[in-house]
Amino acid sequence: MNIGSLISALPGAIAQGLIWGVMAIGVYLTYKVLDIADLTVDGTMATGGAVCVMMMLNGANLWVALLCAVLAGMIAGLVTGIFHTAMGIPAILAGILTQLSLYSINLAIMGFKANQGINVRNYHLLVSSRNVKVIGPQNPIFVMIIVTALLIGVLYWFFGREIGAALRATGSNEHMSRAQGINVNRCKIIGLMISNGIVALASALFAQYQGAVDVNMGRGGIVIGLAAVIISTVLFGKIFHNFAMKLLGVSLGAVIYYIVIQIVLWLGLNTNLLKLLSALVVAIFLAIPYWKGKLAKGAKNA
Amino acid sequence: MKTIKKITCIALVLLIAVSAVFAGGSSESSAKKTYKVGICQFVQHVALDSATQGFMDALKDALGDSVVFDNQNASGDMSTVTTIVNSLVSNKVDLILANATPPLQVAAAATGDIPILGTSVTDYETALDLKLNNGATGINISGASDLAPLDKQAQMIVELFPGVKNVGLLYCSAEPNSVYQINQMETYLMQMGIKSTRYAFTDSNDVASVTEAACKSADVLYIPTDNTAASCTEAIRNVIEPAKVPVVAGEEGICKGCGVATLTISYYDLGYTTGKMAVEVLKNGADISKMPIQYAANPIKKYNAELCSLLGVKIPSDYTAI
Repeated sequence: MNIGSLISALPGAIAQGLIWGVMAIGVYLTYKVLDIADLTVDGTMATGGAVCVMMMLNGANLWVALLCAVLAGMIAGLVTGIFHTAMGIPAILAGILTQLSLYSINLAIMGFKANQGINVRNYHLLVSSRNVKVIGPQNPIFVMIIVTALLIGVLYWFFGREIGAALRATGSNEHMSRAQGINVNRCKIIGLMISNGIVALASALFAQYQGAVDVNMGRGGIVIGLAAVIISTVLFGKIFHNFAMKLLGVSLGAVIYYIVIQIVLWLGLNTNLLKLLSALVVAIFLAIPYWKGKLAKGAKNA
Repeated sequence: MKTIKKITCIALVLLIAVSAVFAGGSSESSAKKTYKVGICQFVQHVALDSATQGFMDALKDALGDSVVFDNQNASGDMSTVTTIVNSLVSNKVDLILANATPPLQVAAAATGDIPILGTSVTDYETALDLKLNNGATGINISGASDLAPLDKQAQMIVELFPGVKNVGLLYCSAEPNSVYQINQMETYLMQMGIKSTRYAFTDSNDVASVTEAACKSADVLYIPTDNTAASCTEAIRNVIEPAKVPVVAGEEGICKGCGVATLTISYYDLGYTTGKMAVEVLKNGADISKMPIQYAANPIKKYNAELCSLLGVKIPSDYTAI
């Protein structure tokens, strides 16, 4: 149990954390900005990978496949948005319904096979766990830093525009936004589409990274996304106030989450208890601001 | 408080920078007397557990104390598989055992150097997206396949139930090995002129209702080596017993729970075969890229006496009781 083995396992954890960080940014957009608990991501987290891998296996160009994965995610977000706005289904249920139907759709995309491998030798993959210790441009950490930076840049630009600001207003105070003439339904749909498009992108990258797409690969994804958002809120809430920095903080939150998981494995704890430990980690992170608040109140009363 | 946060941030950045430097990994002494073997099992389940046990026993029998295991179970989570494989690869283990298809795929993506042996994997070509050459992969992967002789299983259904009109194929749509076996079964049954219908459930929550639907129209059910079905045999039995529909199972565990008969392979033996391949690679320096995939040997016909008498199924004499 030497520290060397932990440190040599870190690049893999960081790469995985950065990929899930992209997904966490998508979750952040719905959870914090739009104030909707969107459970579609459990389904979208497999759809992006399914579309990307199946297209690449059929000869499509990497970038075309990635773009189609994002579009597929956006369609999933659109469906949830329609369920919620046009059909009046509560947001959480709308997300669950889409996630449920995406299971069958993902299977259909994969040709009714539950699992499809993609070989890093045969295809030009953008990220692969093979290169995680290579010093060079194919290192997935390097690629993911660029992808994250580009994504944050695009989102920063978008949310500064009128439509972006309208989205933020909708999340902040829906009634006031409607009173000001903002079409809140349209904003919610657009927000869900963008969020799920980003999650699908993360899914496509993760499928390439692990060399396979599996119909169950998104299961439990919302928990990881929320864990990253909460960790970032607790750790970086007071430091980062700029919107772009908050998105960066979310990505770092995912990296921290995966580093903690790697440490848990390194400590030799039973992997069967991994889910319990992840829940405890998130619970403690959630409790820290509450305890800090109580301590501060106690100090004031003393 | 602000200084503590600043220090945490700086420490994290330093940690990331240091890990990039250490990315080359620590060098080990060249004379390896102890072999480090990493095992990544996909999910907790009787057949996979037996395969892992067989593998470990084979290595312990041949190498005794000079082999150390790092046995991890991913609890069915893909992202945990990636984390486990990452720690095995970065610990520079001498060999990786991938128990089931997802660990095999993730390990294949993560390393091109560490020898990887798969077990409890049915179809290596689809899982790895490559073509086998004389049964060997040509890269750092080999292993044992649990592909049971499906044509013989189809014959078994006809032998036990000669008047069968419709065979219900019950399986979990999320398991690639099950889908593969069902595809083959359908073809074999069609060649014998028997109609078959597929009944797929998504997870353990729909098993009961899908089995109900299957029992309404099928005379006999067939369940392949399906992990989900194997963990829900009680639920399946509670449906088929009152409906009086017999089940032919793909492996012994399922047959013991809810089936009447099976042409079974022993997962323990499969794991043991994989273990012997590991000994070849570790001790005798065999080239893993040229080792052909081994298949399960000696399938045995077995029957479940209790269910056979409950459902009134006559079993020929060449079957052994479970």
